[in-house]
Amino acid sequence: MSSTSPSRWAMISRETGRALTAVVIALAVALVVILLTSADPGAAFQTLLTAPLSSNRTMGLWIDDVAKLTLTGLAFSLVFQARQFSMGVQGQVYMGGLFAALIAMSPIGTTPLAIPVAMLAAMCAGAVYGFIPGYAKARFGASEIVSSLMLNYIAILVVNYLIRAHLAPAGTGQLMTAKFPETAVFPAILPGTRFDLGIVIALIATFVVWFLLYRTSWGLKLRLVGHNPKFAEYSGIRSSFIMVSAMTVAGAFGGLLGSVFVQGRAFGNLAQNFDGNLAFEGILIAIVARSRPLAVPFVALAYGYLRQGAQLMGIRTDVPTEMISVVQAIIILLVASSFSLPGKKFFTALLGKKSASVATPEAVK
Amino acid sequence: MAPLLEAISIGKTYPGGTLANDGVNLSVSAGEVHAVVGENGAGKSTLMKILFGIEQPDRGEIRLDGKPVNFANPRDAIDHGIGMVFQHFSLVPSFSVYENVVLGSEPRNGITFDREEAIAKVRALSEKFRLAVDPLPPVGQLPVGQQQRVEILKALYRDARILILDEPTAVLAPQEVEELFVAVRALVAQGRTVIFIAHKLPEVLEISDRITVMRGGKTVGSVNAKDVTEDSLATMMVGREIALRVDRAKGRGDLACEIKALKLTAENGVTVAQDLNLKVYSGEILGLVGVEGNGQAELLEAIAGLRPIADGVVYLNGTSLAPKTVLERRELGLASIPEDRIARGLATGATIAENLIATRLADKRFVRNGLLDLKAMKANALSLIERFSIRSGGPGYAVGTLSGGNMQKVVVARELSEQPKLLLVNQPTRGVDLGATQFIWKSLTDARDGGAAVLLSSADLSELLALSDRLVVFYRGKIVAAFVNSDDLTAETLGTYMLGLSSQDPETMRAALQ
Repeated sequence: MSSTSPSRWAMISRETGRALTAVVIALAVALVVILLTSADPGAAFQTLLTAPLSSNRTMGLWIDDVAKLTLTGLAFSLVFQARQFSMGVQGQVYMGGLFAALIAMSPIGTTPLAIPVAMLAAMCAGAVYGFIPGYAKARFGASEIVSSLMLNYIAILVVNYLIRAHLAPAGTGQLMTAKFPETAVFPAILPGTRFDLGIVIALIATFVVWFLLYRTSWGLKLRLVGHNPKFAEYSGIRSSFIMVSAMTVAGAFGGLLGSVFVQGRAFGNLAQNFDGNLAFEGILIAIVARSRPLAVPFVALAYGYLRQGAQLMGIRTDVPTEMISVVQAIIILLVASSFSLPGKKFFTALLGKKSASVATPEAVK
Repeated sequence: MAPLLEAISIGKTYPGGTLANDGVNLSVSAGEVHAVVGENGAGKSTLMKILFGIEQPDRGEIRLDGKPVNFANPRDAIDHGIGMVFQHFSLVPSFSVYENVVLGSEPRNGITFDREEAIAKVRALSEKFRLAVDPLPPVGQLPVGQQQRVEILKALYRDARILILDEPTAVLAPQEVEELFVAVRALVAQGRTVIFIAHKLPEVLEISDRITVMRGGKTVGSVNAKDVTEDSLATMMVGREIALRVDRAKGRGDLACEIKALKLTAENGVTVAQDLNLKVYSGEILGLVGVEGNGQAELLEAIAGLRPIADGVVYLNGTSLAPKTVLERRELGLASIPEDRIARGLATGATIAENLIATRLADKRFVRNGLLDLKAMKANALSLIERFSIRSGGPGYAVGTLSGGNMQKVVVARELSEQPKLLLVNQPTRGVDLGATQFIWKSLTDARDGGAAVLLSSADLSELLALSDRLVVFYRGKIVAAFVNSDDLTAETLGTYMLGLSSQDPETMRAALQ
């Protein structure tokens, strides 16, 4: 639609500018932290900025992160667009991971069906896990924030217990399962790296979520409920159905992320605490992307780069790992807050005065 | 006598290029009520924001007592004795009246807040200026009219010599408007000056001494209130002759909607309306008169399916509506223009095209197999934008980018895009400028002439009298009077029934209800 382009481009450039400014400020703060803690700040800062590109392996790490951040960002975007604050992606990831692992370790795991069936199982498990807080809210008025957070703990602890007590190879004391058969693990796109099927799945998922939201009547209803629930009620849209279905579908994407985790080349098995809290960073991705699915991969690309750079800085330089977390947190804070630049007004006033004062002598002459 | 407050060739361009004020002049003398009128977007609010220091002018000068002044922020303006009451109040609902009034400049007793003195001061102020309000209860429990008085007291407590009231009557019921006017007169009698921003011309003519008319960011002129009529003022505002008169229905058709012994309750079980018996015929507009909160809005909500029916029945062309969902009612030919377009009638974040089909997501033209037909949506939006002259950037723009009048036109366009059988209308032109009002009235009468039975509720009595063929008055959830509209029927007559001051004999009422 050509008529949308002016406002849309203005919005895209405004939002991109905002995100980039946040990144620049975050990097400046990171530089200060590095200067204060590192013996060789130049090298450390350079590592932060360039390390993800330093080898095929690190690029694989980066792209693997991007795929996962995209999926969790999409799951959060879906519920946020319906203005539901379900925080349940992490639990869905664990449930999805568990069911993907169960399929991978079953007889199906050695057949060519292993990958699709495991993914499907993971999505179903995630969907069920997303449905529960939605239903609890629609039926009993339970706050989805609380119930989904509690369900996260249940999922993590149940999965951890199952791994330790039942799924890990007996007698080894390992906190992970044995490696899945090769047929159940995503093929690498770049051999020897983590650059695998995950990124393809993430991009397909991006398209699917965009299509659901912007090309189907379900998506329009979902967005209308999110924009104004009273208007939705007035229009005859069944808000509770939309709410529950949005949380269920988002849950399926959370579950899919679980399968990408355990079947990706990074793991290829089910381990305790495998998500490393990445699932929660989807909140950040969704907020920065303003819950727009097509913006999610781009945000994930940029954020994943910084995230990987910071981690590599922690490994390769003398910057203490605690500081890495501080830098990451600052990046999150800055990017996520709908900040406006302090002093912007001051600068425009200054510039305005400047041009005025330049103009006046001219006029006097 | 030198004017107290002057604005001389004020210019203001907003970032984004909107020229909001372009050579605006305003001259207010001490001790007068000076009204500033104009359509939405005429630049009234911008001028007031400049006078109160919220915005700074790009060009021009403000003079107070003949001396140029420059308000960097509202604090400056307050220090110079200017007070402003916004349309949307800035009160703390959980704080008491006196706390709200003194907030920020509390009287002190040593280092502690001197509550006794604060209460005494607020009492004294409210007596002096005839702004009766009890200082003790929390503001959130007061009706809107009293909250407004608290806002005015706030300004007076800070020694405002000049009081700017931004559309003060928009939120008030008729008798509250009267009370406000009493207070305004008391203020002027004691030497204060009032600048009054308004829409409704009869009120402007009643209360003001001088009137400045704005149009398209410019001042059209200033006139003495006693020298102008409503019509000449309207012409100045709009720049062309406009007739705020509509043709009555030519004659009504068959019975369309029948309401029998209807009872409605609030969520907490309190009865909000009872014994409602009404017949609405196709081709007529039935006006629901009443001070807000007397059951009219609840009746419309119940018919629309947004509120359960406690007892009684509503028939639309013989079908009982109670068991039907909102969508099923719409399929039967029901359309509804809700009271508050932003809270209920639109999704401001969604596009115009999306808003225009939101109530028709089961329609095969726009949705097939669960997929949206974007082309049909766009074509639908373009044709409605054209038909209802909605000023917008295009179908893909968010509704929130439109002005109030154009937002309301989006609602009207959606509800009238197909000829309804029963049309529910609540506050169709609240906060809408004259040009759009004229257009919306025309759309309503067109729908009526197309055979719709129309139920119209409005806080604006002149609107009800202009549009309705019959009127019923609600008081405390009951119908207390009914009239066939005629030129003899006045707002004053309706007012006495609205306030429960007089009652109609059952025979007359029954005759008008048929």
